[in-house]
Amino acid sequence: MPNPGVQRTQRELGAAAAVLCVVLFGYYGAAVGAEDGPPGLTVPTVLPAFDRDAATCTGPPGLEKVLAFAQDNEREFMQGVRRGLAAAAEDRGLAFRVELAGNDATRMNQLIDALRDEKVGAVVASPVDPISLAPHLQKLIWSGALVGTIVPPPATLLLNAPQYLTGKVLGDAAADYIRTRLGGQAKVVLLTHDSLQFLAPRFVAMRDALRDIPGVTIVADISPTTVNKQGGLAMMRTILLAQPKVDVVLGADTVVLGALAALREAGAARPDQFLGGIDGEPEAVAEIKKGDSPYKASVSLASPVFGYAMGQFAADWLDGRSVPQAMDILPKALTLANIAQYEADVADPAAVFREAARRDAYLRMYGNICYDTRERYINFPWSSETK
Amino acid sequence: MPISAHFVIRSTVGLLTLGFVALFGIVGMTSWLNERANLNFDDVIAARDIRSAAVELRDALRTAESSQRGYVFTGNEIYLAPYDAAKVQAQRQLAALKRLLPADPTTARVLGRLDIIATDKISEMDQTIQLKKDRRDADTLALFRSNRGKALMDEANLFLTSLVQSADERLISDVGEQRSNAAMLRWASILGGAVIVLVVAIVVVTVTRYTREIRHARDEVRDLNASLEERVKRRTAELDSARNRAEVLLAEVNHRVANSLTLVASLVKLQSKAVSEQAAKDALAETEGRIYAISLLHHRLYSSGDPRSVALDEYLSRLLDHIETSMHAEGHTASLRYEIAPLQLPTDAAINLGVVVSEWVTNAFKYAYPEHPGEVRVSLLAMPDGCAKLCVEDDGIGRPADAVAKGTGLGTRIVSAMAATMKGHIEYAGESGTSACMMFALPPVNA
Repeated sequence: MPNPGVQRTQRELGAAAAVLCVVLFGYYGAAVGAEDGPPGLTVPTVLPAFDRDAATCTGPPGLEKVLAFAQDNEREFMQGVRRGLAAAAEDRGLAFRVELAGNDATRMNQLIDALRDEKVGAVVASPVDPISLAPHLQKLIWSGALVGTIVPPPATLLLNAPQYLTGKVLGDAAADYIRTRLGGQAKVVLLTHDSLQFLAPRFVAMRDALRDIPGVTIVADISPTTVNKQGGLAMMRTILLAQPKVDVVLGADTVVLGALAALREAGAARPDQFLGGIDGEPEAVAEIKKGDSPYKASVSLASPVFGYAMGQFAADWLDGRSVPQAMDILPKALTLANIAQYEADVADPAAVFREAARRDAYLRMYGNICYDTRERYINFPWSSETK
Repeated sequence: MPISAHFVIRSTVGLLTLGFVALFGIVGMTSWLNERANLNFDDVIAARDIRSAAVELRDALRTAESSQRGYVFTGNEIYLAPYDAAKVQAQRQLAALKRLLPADPTTARVLGRLDIIATDKISEMDQTIQLKKDRRDADTLALFRSNRGKALMDEANLFLTSLVQSADERLISDVGEQRSNAAMLRWASILGGAVIVLVVAIVVVTVTRYTREIRHARDEVRDLNASLEERVKRRTAELDSARNRAEVLLAEVNHRVANSLTLVASLVKLQSKAVSEQAAKDALAETEGRIYAISLLHHRLYSSGDPRSVALDEYLSRLLDHIETSMHAEGHTASLRYEIAPLQLPTDAAINLGVVVSEWVTNAFKYAYPEHPGEVRVSLLAMPDGCAKLCVEDDGIGRPADAVAKGTGLGTRIVSAMAATMKGHIEYAGESGTSACMMFALPPVNA
């Protein structure tokens, strides 16, 4: 049975890999060729840091002061984006509307076209099918609207989730725990996600974080057959057969929750273990809040925070100001110590955005773009981690 | 504080025992660690064999998989060349693992699962190769896309890596234990050596100190001996001097006593001349004789050089000669013959004996021969049993047993008193002449 968390991860972050495939195989190039408008930045480019004091330009003429969210589905992550966008729109006097695609790619494409026809000034999209949606988004960009996407291009404001950094945050948290609580000695299980190659940097980062601890032994570095809780449960059962004593388990929240169930089933779960996942799954957060659970951390992306920022920049765009070309949403390792603050931050993203230090802890911005320079929109799978 | 010999012996024995214990400890630990090293070596070999089998099994599966994929991708059978050999190798190493791993339930489950995985993996590879050979590329691709081959290989890797890591841990543990044992042996040797060196050092210090003290004591004794000898010598000289002075003084005293007694005797004689009564004259004469006898002894004492004893032959001869002379001067005509054995008597006894001799000889001269000259014989002979016998004999008129004593009888009482003092036994005989004898014990001269 497909796991919602896995589906979410695949949709959020796998889109970038899919687009990369499109670019590599030339399909997307052919699509661009069918339209009449600038292709944007199609060659991987290193963007400078966002300049807040960049010169202003003219605002997009003839567009409505409306911010729309073309939402793929109503999962919690995207609902967070929606809340952030709505708060920003309210704060900046924009009308806000949500267009729900219900995981239907065709509907999503139609919604984008409709928004363009309605001369909506700013659209944030979470694509269902990035490949088919791309030409529709390009047309919207050419109309002068701000187009923000989560995560795949094309976009005038592209949101990126840095995969290596995400893995590094979790790896560093585990490494710190191993050093301080386990005496530098640990048997580690990495539950990878081999079916999505673009997620590989996460696990590279985890291995890098653990490599410097001599007492760490990675006893299993394996991908469950299905990346969900059931897959994690089955794989952990097998791993426990080969390695009865496990100290650390890292992976996506869903599979790690499955692994936790296997540990408990085998009587091998201990309060001093470190189980950590990625995605900020509610069940994982609930485990963390127990205090004595082996589950110690979950890396989360604060969707309301970046949603609010995208809403603010949409308003700036419509006011003729320069906005970032791309943003990294920085991962946060939720632990018992910081989870309350994190929840406060996502509950009031406006407060985070107003305070530079708190904002910078969540967001990193790159490049500058405005209505007059919109031909420089990003049209390649950009990542701040690209070397 | 000085060290006693007892302490030296006890401490030396104790320290040597400690040294031997340390030595035996080192030897014992060496033997024990050697035995443990052998066990470790056996374990290392076993772990190495398991590791080798696991690695070779993994390599064989990878080789087979590489061969399978090369063939499936290209259709060129050249890629299948190592395939069968790799399968055989995989099965052989799996059998080796079953043989080498311990037969416990956990290992049995792992081996059982590994067996299934390896069998399934080989089966999956055989199946894809056969599909390719049958030109069923779509089915081949579908089988690939199921990811079953990858999942099986991943799981095989999981178990084989676990076995390799477990073997590595055993190897590391064994090597660590060997290092620990070596370090333990090194420290034990150092500690034991230090103990032995310490023991030797303490023994050396103790013996050296004891020797130094003995040498010091010997020097002190030698110095004391030298001092003592000097003191003895000086003391001896002082004693000699004191003795000489005492002897001189004693001789002087004896000389003065003798002279005084002679003077007394002369006074008695003068007194006798002054009195007219014959009995008084006789009594004074006897008294003079007795005094003379005593003075003569004192004369012998200061002239003999030994005041503690008197040589009777010299003393009695002189006394008898004097009595004879005196008696002849008084008109008595008897002659005197004597035989005195060279005996020694203590001074007191000699005085008593001299008084007895004086009494008896004087009486003999006076009363034995009233009519005609005769002989008075005096003998002093040593007798058996440490006794001596003094006899004064004459051939005169004799003396009946019931005869009344002539004179005052004082002489008889004196003789009896002297004999009693000497514990002597007196016998008189008077049938033909008179014989007076006294048996007395010869006391030790130094008594």
